[in-house]
Amino acid sequence: MPRRPGRPRRQQAPAHDPLQPADRFAALADPTRRHLLERLAAGDHAVSDLTSDLDMSQAAVSQHLRVLREAGLVTARKEGRHRYYQLRPAGLTELRDWLGELERFWRERLTALGDYLGESPANFREAR
Amino acid sequence: MKADIDLTVTYPHPIGQVWAALTSSEALAAWLMPNDFQPVAGHRFTFRTNPAPGFDGIVRCQVLELEPPRRMVWSWAGGKIDTTVTFTLEPAGEQRTRLRMHQVGFHGLGAQITRRIMAGGWPGLLRERLAAHLDSAAGLGIRPIPDQGAEG
Repeated sequence: MPRRPGRPRRQQAPAHDPLQPADRFAALADPTRRHLLERLAAGDHAVSDLTSDLDMSQAAVSQHLRVLREAGLVTARKEGRHRYYQLRPAGLTELRDWLGELERFWRERLTALGDYLGESPANFREAR
Repeated sequence: MKADIDLTVTYPHPIGQVWAALTSSEALAAWLMPNDFQPVAGHRFTFRTNPAPGFDGIVRCQVLELEPPRRMVWSWAGGKIDTTVTFTLEPAGEQRTRLRMHQVGFHGLGAQITRRIMAGGWPGLLRERLAAHLDSAAGLGIRPIPDQGAEG
């Protein structure tokens, strides 16, 4: 077993309108945005920091950050002249939860398949 | 931690019977969702279910691979997710069939980001809490489903 961190505190309710997970997947589908998230996973950064290792303009990076912000995956705060971006962990855990829901859906369906097979009409039955 | 859905079930039925239930529109409607599936490679079809916010209730699919009676692959796109679903069947003893259902293509959740986060890129407390959340979320489903005994 991996180490067990203390019981998680009650999961924070999303502060803003919960977005459809689908929008998050769309936000994550872009490799630049995944790269930005990875950078932010290591700590908060201003746009200029985030632009330094990317071959694109600061405006383009800002645009990607905006998509991530709208998808609830990062938040921004202003400090002096700079705007710092920060990962929003709940955005990722909500995605996990959504994936969990989808998995439950499949488990139920595969159970239904078992019921169907058990009660299947004669054309399936005769194979037994 | 996995970013895909991977379930295995053993059914007390021969492989041909399970394959038939996976590849008939009528059978799929009974256990999965209403559809216009046809067991033809390349065929495009939809599943229809109740719409939800951000989801029109239509899953758009295509039969990508069809190898009776062992393997079938569908593309599976709904809302903004674009994934593939693979069914693999194999005999598991007399009159028993093991079915594996594997859905992949959830961009971003798997690979680099989560690995990086879990590997320690995440600062202190946040990281602990995230790890705990991810653990508990993963616990929801990675467990294999017990065999579905179908006798009544």
